[in-house]
Formats: sequence, C-alpha cells, structure tokens
Amino acid sequence: MSKSKGNYRSKRNKPTVGQQAKEVLESLDENNRVIKLFRAFAVELDDKHDRHERIVKLGRDITIEAKRIIFLLHNISTDIEEKRNSVLEEAKSRLSTLCSTNFKAIALELRRHDGYLYHRAFTAGMQEFIEALCFYQYIKQDSIGNWVDINRSFQFEDEDQQKIQLLFTQYDFILGIADFTGELMRKCINTLGSGNVSDCFKLCNFVRAINTGFLGLSYSGNREVSRKTHVLRQSLAKMELVCYNIQIRGSEVPKHMLLSVIESQEADNNDDEGFCI
Amino acid sequence: MAEPTKVITEIFGPFQDSINAEQDIRELIRSIMKDVEKSLRETVIAMQVIHSEVNCEYIHHSLLKARSLFEEVQKGFDELDKTVPPGQYYRYNDHWRFSTQRLCFLAALIVFLEKGFLIDQVTAAQMLGLHDKENIHLDLEDYLHGLLNLASELVSFVFSCSRGALCIHIYAQARFAVNSVTLGDYSRPLQISKFVAELNAGFRLLNLKNDSLRKRFDALKYDVKKIEEVVYDISIRGLTPKASAEDAAD
Repeated sequence: MSKSKGNYRSKRNKPTVGQQAKEVLESLDENNRVIKLFRAFAVELDDKHDRHERIVKLGRDITIEAKRIIFLLHNISTDIEEKRNSVLEEAKSRLSTLCSTNFKAIALELRRHDGYLYHRAFTAGMQEFIEALCFYQYIKQDSIGNWVDINRSFQFEDEDQQKIQLLFTQYDFILGIADFTGELMRKCINTLGSGNVSDCFKLCNFVRAINTGFLGLSYSGNREVSRKTHVLRQSLAKMELVCYNIQIRGSEVPKHMLLSVIESQEADNNDDEGFCI
Repeated sequence: MAEPTKVITEIFGPFQDSINAEQDIRELIRSIMKDVEKSLRETVIAMQVIHSEVNCEYIHHSLLKARSLFEEVQKGFDELDKTVPPGQYYRYNDHWRFSTQRLCFLAALIVFLEKGFLIDQVTAAQMLGLHDKENIHLDLEDYLHGLLNLASELVSFVFSCSRGALCIHIYAQARFAVNSVTLGDYSRPLQISKFVAELNAGFRLLNLKNDSLRKRFDALKYDVKKIEEVVYDISIRGLTPKASAEDAAD
C-alpha cells in the first residue's frame, strides 16, 4: 500500500522520460489541427496505394494471359493451313479481349491521373502484351506494327463517350520487341526440329534486323534496354549457329537430326528465360 | 531485304526521335534545377544560424534572407512549369523530387520559427511557387518527407538551444546579468517536444507502404525519444518555465 502511494507521489512530483509525449498524446482529439491535416493525407495516400494495387493486379493478369497466348502461337504447325488459321483466330480474339477488358480497366483507373505515376504497376504486363502481339503479327504477316498503329488499340471510350488514351511509352514498345526476339529464337529452333530450314534463315534475318536497330540507337541510359539487348544478342548468336549448321552440315546430316547436333553444341550456353509458364 | 530496313525506319526511327526529345527536356530541367539548388543551398546555410545564435535579431535577419531566397526558388519553379509537358510530372520528377523535399523542410522550418505551428500543404506549395501551377504541383509525399526532416532538424535545434541556455544558466549562477529572452529558450524544448509528438501522432494515421517515406518515418521515433530525454533532463533540474515559476512561488 505504501509502495503504491510512493509511486503516486513520484509520478506527481518527479518528471519521467516520455511524460511530455504522453501528455500530448492524451490531450490529442479529433479537432487537433495536425490530426485533421493527417486524416486528409491518409485518405489521399490510401487512394493512391489502392489504385496502384488494382493496376498491379490487372497488369499481372495481362502478363499471364500474354504468356499463354505466346505458348499457343508456338504450337502452330505451319503445314496445315486450316489449323494455322484457327490458332491465329484464337490468338487474335484473345489479344483483343485483353485490350477491351484489362487494358481498358487500367485506362479507366488512370483517367484524370498522371499515367507515369502508376507506370511501374503495369509496364511488365504491357511489355509482355507487346511481345505476344508482335509474335502474332509476325506469324500472320511476317512483319510487326509500328508504335502509332499499336497505340491506336489503347484508345478507349468511357461511359460518357469521352476518349481516353492509355499511356503506352516508346520504352515499353521497344522492350516488348526485345523480348519478342527471344520467342523468334525459340521458334527458329522448333522450326528446325520439324525440318523446315528456310524459315530458320528468315527468322534469323529478322532478328538480325532488330539487333541492327538496337545497335543504331545513339543513347540508352535505360538499364532495361541494355540488359535486354544483351539477351537479344545471345538469342541471335544461337540462331546464327543454327543457320551455320544448316548451311555447312545440312547436306551431311538428315534434317531431323540437325536439332540434336545444335543442342549438343549449345548445352553450355542455355539460359532461356521464362519459356515455361 | 526490304523488310529489315522497314523495321529500322518504322520502329527504331521514331524511338530514337522520342529519346532525343526526352533528352532535350531533361537537359532544360537540369539547368533550371541547378539554379533552384543554388538558392536551396544558400537557404540551408542562412538557416544554420538558428543553431549557434541566441540573439533574436540575428535569427529574424536570417529568416528574412531565407524568405528572399525563396523568391528565387519560385522563379525557378515558374520556369519548370513551362518546361514540363502537361500530364508528365511523374515522368521527370526524379530531377526535382529531392530538392523539393529539402525546400519543403526549409519552408516548414521557417513557418515553425515564425509562427510556431505546422505548415500546411497549400502554404508550403505557395512558398515554393508550386501552388496552382498548370503542369507541376507539390507532391504529398515530398511534403511529408519535408515534415520528417523538420522533426530531425528541430531535435538537433533543441540540443543547440539547450546548450546555449545552459551556458547562460551557469552565468546566472555566477550572478552575471541574465538576458531574460534567452533564458526563455528553456520553453523551446517543451514547445518542440509537443510539436514533434503531434507530428508523430499524425504520421501514425497514415498507412505507409514499404517505401522511402516509410523508412524515413521509422526514424522519427528516435527523434521523439531524444527530445523526450532533453525534456526530462530539463524538468528534473527544474529548468522548465513552469517549474521555475513554482520555485519562485516557494
């Protein structure tokens, strides 16, 4: 009893560490100016973070679906025209569905907001989509669209028929193309496996042209660009090895066995990224 | 080989153009920010006076100087507003984010020293010249960063003003004349302690993500702790204005 009394007295008379902070916290109420200010900040920050999270989710779904479309396009067999067409049809409809659902949802989230603030949330999905789209276009017509054409597919209308444009940066476009060359490399190897050698040369030339484009860029402070061009060069080296083998050994080795020749040569140089989904 | 050349002209040509345009804008922004940063540095130097000077006249003088330097800053941000393309604030904001945080801190420090309360976002934006601009604004997170810097600065200010006041206290014991204004500096730690505690309570209301602001906020508790210890040291020696008044009554 006397002990508790002593405590009470020391509390009253002797100051303690943290006393001031405690007093301030106890006296704070909802009408405090600082608290009022921060309540408003909390609302603003939560809005920003929530929006960011929603866009990240949409972007992740785009990445997954784009990878699936690429996988579908790899299974195309160029020999049977009918099957080829049906696969292309399916890829086309799935690509346009992505545009009209997920990308439109992102565009609506970004309405009246600075797209660059949330760009990091959907750049990966965007690049993966460009990769799938270019792959589709290349298989269909041996060429890929330009930025202006693709940018047009990111124009949407909101409920009030107002035009909205989703942010589609040139960087996303060019990085998507760099990824797309990896798919061409895989396609080149697969084509060889099915004995179609003329396509290998065509694919190799196309990737070489893209590599030339990257070499011709005068500046790229962007770290992603230099990382991806490095991967691009590795892909190109693999494809050139394929073409070399076809050219030199094509007459000695049966076509269906060329693939195993190449695979044994590049066994030490196998760092495919993300082929399996 | 018609196709490969088409790839280069149609795809890489426009890409190169866009990079070049971006570089030009960045170049302009950099030269604008160079001037702003110069004023920023001068303001920081001007405001350091508060740590060593107990004379109100000098502090008042440096506040006036800082205010005039802020007019230079405002001119810089006027230029920036004309340079940043509409809707692309966050494309280029790496160039001015750090400086804006520092400027926000200085603006908050000036307002605290002059009026003793927390600067609000609009006032901070007005002082920096970011208020009601077409293409640029004061980002909330930059403003909050500035407030956290203010808390740290005020804590070190407490140490320096207690030191100054302690010197005078020793003089006082030696029966030298005592300047009552500077003795009043013992109330500063209490005022700042209240201010930092309120700020801490405010930040606790925010749901911060695991970003730089969050890391900066995590350091605030050490500031709160330090200042509480100073307050304790002062009050246990009966140096707080309240305690002195009680002593006088005894």
